[in-house]
Amino acid sequence: MTNIVNSEQIRLKALNNLWIHNRDWTEMAESGGPPVITSGEGIRVTDSEGKTWIDVNGGYSCVNIGYGRAEIAQAVYDQINKTPFCPIGTTTEVVINLAEKLAQLTPSDLNRVFFSTGGSEANETAIKIARAYHNRCGEPGRYRVISRRGSYHGMTGGVLWTGDGPAVHKADYGPGYPGMLHVPQPNPYRCEFDAQTESECAVLCAQAIEDTILFYGPETVSAFIGEPIAIPQGAPVPSKEYWPMVRDICNRYGVIMIADEVVCGFGRTGKMFGMEHFNVSPDIMTVAKGIISAYLPMAATIVSDQIADSFSGGESSLKHVLTNSGHPVSAAAALANISIIEKENMVDNAREVGEYFKSQLQGMVNDHPYIGDIRGIGLFLAMELVSDRETKAGFEPDIEVGTRLTDKFKERGLIFRARENILHFGPPLCITRQDVDEIVHAVDIVLWEFEGECGVGRLA
Amino acid sequence: MTTNIDLQDKANRYLWMQAKGWADMAEMGEPIIIDHATGISVTDIEGNTWLDVNGGYASVNIGYGKKEIADAVMHQMLQLSYYPEQTTTLPNVLLAEKLAELTPGDLTRVWPVSGGSEANEIAIRMARAYHVRRGDKGRYKIISRKGSYHGATFGVAWLGRSQFMGLDEYEPGPPGMIYAAQPNPYNCEFGGKSPAECAALCAKDVENLIIQNQPDTVAAFIGEPITSSLGAVVPGDKYWPLIREICDYYGVVLIDDEVVCGFGRTGKMFGMDHFGITPDIMTFAKGLGSSYIPVGAVIATSQIADAFAGKENIFYAALTAGGHPVSAASALMNINIIQKEGLVDCSAKAGQYFIDCLKDLADRHSIVGDVRGLGLLVALEIDPKVNFTIDDEGLAKWLVRKFKERGLLLRTLSRVIQMSPPLCVTQIEIDLIVEALDSTLTELASYISKG
Repeated sequence: MTNIVNSEQIRLKALNNLWIHNRDWTEMAESGGPPVITSGEGIRVTDSEGKTWIDVNGGYSCVNIGYGRAEIAQAVYDQINKTPFCPIGTTTEVVINLAEKLAQLTPSDLNRVFFSTGGSEANETAIKIARAYHNRCGEPGRYRVISRRGSYHGMTGGVLWTGDGPAVHKADYGPGYPGMLHVPQPNPYRCEFDAQTESECAVLCAQAIEDTILFYGPETVSAFIGEPIAIPQGAPVPSKEYWPMVRDICNRYGVIMIADEVVCGFGRTGKMFGMEHFNVSPDIMTVAKGIISAYLPMAATIVSDQIADSFSGGESSLKHVLTNSGHPVSAAAALANISIIEKENMVDNAREVGEYFKSQLQGMVNDHPYIGDIRGIGLFLAMELVSDRETKAGFEPDIEVGTRLTDKFKERGLIFRARENILHFGPPLCITRQDVDEIVHAVDIVLWEFEGECGVGRLA
Repeated sequence: MTTNIDLQDKANRYLWMQAKGWADMAEMGEPIIIDHATGISVTDIEGNTWLDVNGGYASVNIGYGKKEIADAVMHQMLQLSYYPEQTTTLPNVLLAEKLAELTPGDLTRVWPVSGGSEANEIAIRMARAYHVRRGDKGRYKIISRKGSYHGATFGVAWLGRSQFMGLDEYEPGPPGMIYAAQPNPYNCEFGGKSPAECAALCAKDVENLIIQNQPDTVAAFIGEPITSSLGAVVPGDKYWPLIREICDYYGVVLIDDEVVCGFGRTGKMFGMDHFGITPDIMTFAKGLGSSYIPVGAVIATSQIADAFAGKENIFYAALTAGGHPVSAASALMNINIIQKEGLVDCSAKAGQYFIDCLKDLADRHSIVGDVRGLGLLVALEIDPKVNFTIDDEGLAKWLVRKFKERGLLLRTLSRVIQMSPPLCVTQIEIDLIVEALDSTLTELASYISKG
């Protein structure tokens, strides 16, 4: 198919009819975009002109097993030929097996699985379950949802207002959703409380949750939602005190704790789930991305028996329907994906290569005065650039640091996610040390160029 | 070898099936576990076969068992399973072009998603942001019709405020929801005596609501051309042209939810084709991929989309699975099959035959209140005035059980029996469905309350 298309024609069609997420077509036309990707293998993709790129962020930190795994295609093919879908009120064997697998992989009594097609839907489902659960427990007044500034939980109407999206969203899509409360992010590099140590930051941020619950009244708070390690701010790992304290606070005030494992889940952080680093078990866990390595749309909300049991009867069933909940073809792909992650020890590889990656990035700190912080765990890593290490100040808007760096990386064959001054590294978990060396080398050179353009010399 | 019982136990232990309770299912020997399927028939792992009268969720338009989709999906997945941020892929571009060709007027710009809820969420945000871009910043309210359904996520769940959505448990809802009358000629809120009169009164209601709410606070109107959630409610001919005029006059964005009606369901490619108007935004899901792979899309007119051109005007929203190359490849092949096999015409013809048969049933069964629909979006409503010895919720369950015994899987909501089979349904299959309905209605008559 690809060899018979004229890539210029395709590009024109894209500019005419396609609305690429977070992009606009006039600027794309000027910059000769968009790149039309035609094939992929491991951590690399090739475009319609035959140029090969390293996808440093593996899609949206989601292609965990890497591109080009024929086993998934085969599993999907076989399932479509068996049955691609099923009638209302029925299910299929693959979906049942996947539910069982997820119950086995997740900690404690997280045993009941509601499927959907993406992280936004999974988190919306979690919040609906939390509100309905309190309702059934005779506490219909519990509707507020606490999340952290600098977190991201999706873009549909409810979860859009959790976390703390960029200001443009608020202006464009308001008014906001009622009952959304925000607390500080336990980001040790930029602690809202100016804590002196990571531990202090964690403790203060956890206490802020309790203060918020008490201020609004526990009888009005339904749930707390957070990623084990948050995404938009670039993998700020909270100190070990944080999650156990949050778990205690949620228990004390009857608040449901939702762990958003959409990015962290399935090996990304060097453990199967991000929360395993903290030995805490949430009441509800949401997963997407890595559950299927983005080979097809798929997500799940995994709920503790204690909560789910309120919904076990026909009369008490959860009134919440999504056409693609429990899609057999997606389930077949997800089972094959999890099997690859397990058989090929990709979680271990994420931990080992992630450590190497991080140490190589840390090795550049002395050479580049703009590196403010390097953080993360496993293959969920980030580099924050600052114009001044002392003050941690960012860059003037007219420097357009994100766009500039992205363009420079493109020239070197790397597709990067640079949001403002943060470089995100979320490559497929099959990445090798050689691949890491190639990426780190490019980062080194790009930073040199950028610093040169900004008139900054090497640190003495 | 895993047995059916083992698998059912496992399902009831771990799986949260929508709108089902596992304790109930365990008692009733459920869930049914489907093993294979073809056309409109599905077979469970014990070898029992049923007709899937709703074709999934009114979504399996091309029918089950189309190997071409499996081939297209396999081919695309081997070629490329996903793509890096801010790039795109061939099938996505071709699908966008195809949708722009198929849709009316200057609907030209496609924002891909993976399901109907997401599509409507994006449509609403697009409408709000569009007004902001034009400097008309106070417009946020959304008008929907009572009893309509547009999705399950928080931004769209309150649209229509359907009584079946369990919304009381999820309160509070989002601000700015306005509810207009449903143009249902069988049960007109304003007592309209004909479809035309009901249409005119219900359209007028929309205008009144815009005026009462102050036009400069209203962002959009959203509706399905034919309301699926209430069982194929077909408005009088003038309804949509009037709505189009009202939206134009007051600067309200008109969103056409084609999630169910799109891709041949109603006997035309899109439901709105029956009414000859072009909306500002259309949303698709279900029939776009016939549920083989999750896929959905939003298409906007160039007038709307162009407000977001230029770096300073970007519409900020992203979904990991929106623009998935495998979903797009499967949707392209699905549309290809719909066109090649003339399924839109099949839907019109089979639908007419189906409705004629049902009207014949209505003549013979006095408990039938209404038969309605267009193409293969069809419904039969049991007369609300007839009292039975079982209550309405019990009645819906009783009907589902009786149909199941007669080899049909179908959906009932309260007293409305919804039928939306794959568009490839044959006359023989329709006869089978009607036969089963006939005997079930006869049996139901014995439950009429004598009191």
